[in-house]
Amino acid sequence: MNKRYTWRTFGHELVMLVLAAGFCLPLYILISVALKPNDQLFTKPWEFPAQPDWGNFSEAWGERTDPTLTQSLLSSAIITISAVVILIVTGSLCSYVLARRPGRLSNLLYVLFLLGIIVPFQLCIVPLYVGFRTAGITGTYLSMIILWVGVFMPLTVFLYTGFVRQLPRDYEESARVDGAGIFRIFFRVVFPLLRPVTGTVAIMTGLFIWNDFFASLVFLGGTQNATIPVAIYSFVGEYLTKWNLVFAVVIIALAPLVIFFVLAQKQMIRGFAGGIRG
Amino acid sequence: MATISLSSVGKVYPGGTRAVSDLNLDIEDGEFMVFVGPSGCGKTTALRMVAGLEDITEGTISIGDRVVNGVDPGKRDLAMVFQNYALYPHMSIFENIAFPLRARHMAKDEIRSRVERAAGLLGLTEYLRRKPRTLSGGQRQRVAMGRAIVREPQAFLMDEPLSNLDAKLRVQMRSEIANLQKELGITTVYVTHDQVEAMTMGRRIAVMRKGVLQQEGPPQNVYAHPANIFVAAFIGSPGMNFFEARVERCEASYQLHLRDQVLSLEPGVVRGRPSLEAFVGRCVGVGVRPENLALVDESSGSLRARVSRVEVLGAEALVYADIAAKAVVADEVIEAADSGEGDTRAPGSTGDEGEVTLIIRTDPSLEIDVGDRIPISVRQDRLHLFDIGTGMAIWT
Ligand SMILES: Nc1ncnc2c1ncn2[C@@H]1O[C@H](COP(=O)(O)OP(=O)(O)OP(=O)(O)O)[C@@H](O)[C@H]1O
Ligand SMILES: [Mg+2]
Repeated sequence: MNKRYTWRTFGHELVMLVLAAGFCLPLYILISVALKPNDQLFTKPWEFPAQPDWGNFSEAWGERTDPTLTQSLLSSAIITISAVVILIVTGSLCSYVLARRPGRLSNLLYVLFLLGIIVPFQLCIVPLYVGFRTAGITGTYLSMIILWVGVFMPLTVFLYTGFVRQLPRDYEESARVDGAGIFRIFFRVVFPLLRPVTGTVAIMTGLFIWNDFFASLVFLGGTQNATIPVAIYSFVGEYLTKWNLVFAVVIIALAPLVIFFVLAQKQMIRGFAGGIRG
Repeated sequence: MATISLSSVGKVYPGGTRAVSDLNLDIEDGEFMVFVGPSGCGKTTALRMVAGLEDITEGTISIGDRVVNGVDPGKRDLAMVFQNYALYPHMSIFENIAFPLRARHMAKDEIRSRVERAAGLLGLTEYLRRKPRTLSGGQRQRVAMGRAIVREPQAFLMDEPLSNLDAKLRVQMRSEIANLQKELGITTVYVTHDQVEAMTMGRRIAVMRKGVLQQEGPPQNVYAHPANIFVAAFIGSPGMNFFEARVERCEASYQLHLRDQVLSLEPGVVRGRPSLEAFVGRCVGVGVRPENLALVDESSGSLRARVSRVEVLGAEALVYADIAAKAVVADEVIEAADSGEGDTRAPGSTGDEGEVTLIIRTDPSLEIDVGDRIPISVRQDRLHLFDIGTGMAIWT
């Protein structure tokens, strides 16, 4: 620790600060616009409003859209949470078996899952639509949950399997000798050890599903079950000039994600720090 | 509590590695049995077959009078302690120790009282709420022991449970485990590659090499009467001295001819070994432990050696002295010497070309200088002779 603070260090820090500022700029615009009164929108585009207009939020929230913002938020939450929970439970179980069961079948299945990562899901939209219509579930939560579980299962299996493969078997063997059945071994011993991967999967897939616009528009556009990005889009259509309201809605849509991130981040760091040492 | 018996047990791993062959062993009720041998000799494999974690390729294993070949590990009612303890990092110490009881759906109150009793026995009471990662190595080791004893199983299986501890703690835990086992009287199979651990802990030891049981018996028996050259070289620290010598008849007795010296065998040595007759004119392996060589005065010495090094260790001194003789270079000796600790001779124990370095355990107050030629006497009732071709000890 005998490094001195040099001009070089200062230079590095300066670059970092500029980069960080660059990332913060859109956020600044988002917040400042969301708080601007209507009359300042175009007259003072870059200034932070002297008197923040918190009313924008309530006004946006109160807009009579169809479905309402509350409904859309709820739809997003139901779809995202259900899909992520199903992904984590089935994905981890499936990976556990793939990683621990010896033999060629496991490898073959694993490779099939890997192939799934490469296929862009946009390619499957049309056949999926047909499939959902045949099953009579177009426009429902169920169809979206099925879609997302399918889209992200390969990635989930890939992440979990890699982790299980390098997990020492001693924990499971110890539990087996102690008389635990396979479900106790999995849910009490193995699954908690997988926490770092569970955190990663939850954040990666959760973010994507929450923010997705394309698939949600195709499958849920114009229905009562539209998710929040689709709802924001219709907002943009109707209130093209009221950017402050649009941005306020965007902030409302982001809020649950930010809260989730703050909580999950703590969990994840603890998960990593806990590690897999005895 | 139960007996464990292995009969003609063999193991071939998928892929063809043979790890254990034709293992026959009866472990008595309440006995402390130690499997010992160099790395890769199949100790762990044998233990894991008893635990049910590895399929048994050949033979049968029974616990009590039940053959357990096809029995699930959880149904064998055993407790196993792993080398790295395998404590569940996300559970408190209490939950770790309670795990085997919960797996067996024991009532809550019963679990609490049993865990507390086990923790009390091991001095863990104040740590019950902590997580394993906040404990020291020795404490984790105790938790692993706690998880094993809490259920009062038929037998304990332990695979090198002390190898992750530092030397001092290892010595302490050695006696703690041995005492605990004695107190509980539960049959125990203990695996180690450390022969000192085996000698001090085991009521009986089973020495293995390359998947084959070499010898079993109480540690003192194995030490005093090793069945073959491998066991002789493996057990004891510093290891046994070996050299080759030619057997010649001399009147009613025999002599061992080294390069330039002759050691006359005493009648006692010869009487017990009529089969020596067959070795006349041939070379045998001669083995003698460091404590059975003594530095004596000129008149009574039977061998002479040149001192090459002296190590004073407080209570005793080790004198390294070279004699002109052919070294025993059997694989067995080299393998055993490689895995031994504290033995600083080169494998095959040659000093200069055509010389063998003997280690003599002696009184540190004797004044000996490097380069001295010293007379040595050999305690012949503790002399070991080996058939060089087969490696077997000549006891008859
Ligand atoms: N899962 C396995 N698959 C194939 N071969 C194995 C497997 N486990 C062990 N072996 C082989 O079986 C032999 C015996 O291994 P084992 O682990 O029983 O040795 P050990 O006596 O416990 O050694 P150590 O003191 O190093 O732990 C070794 O040659 C090893 O390479
Ligand atoms: Mg081993």
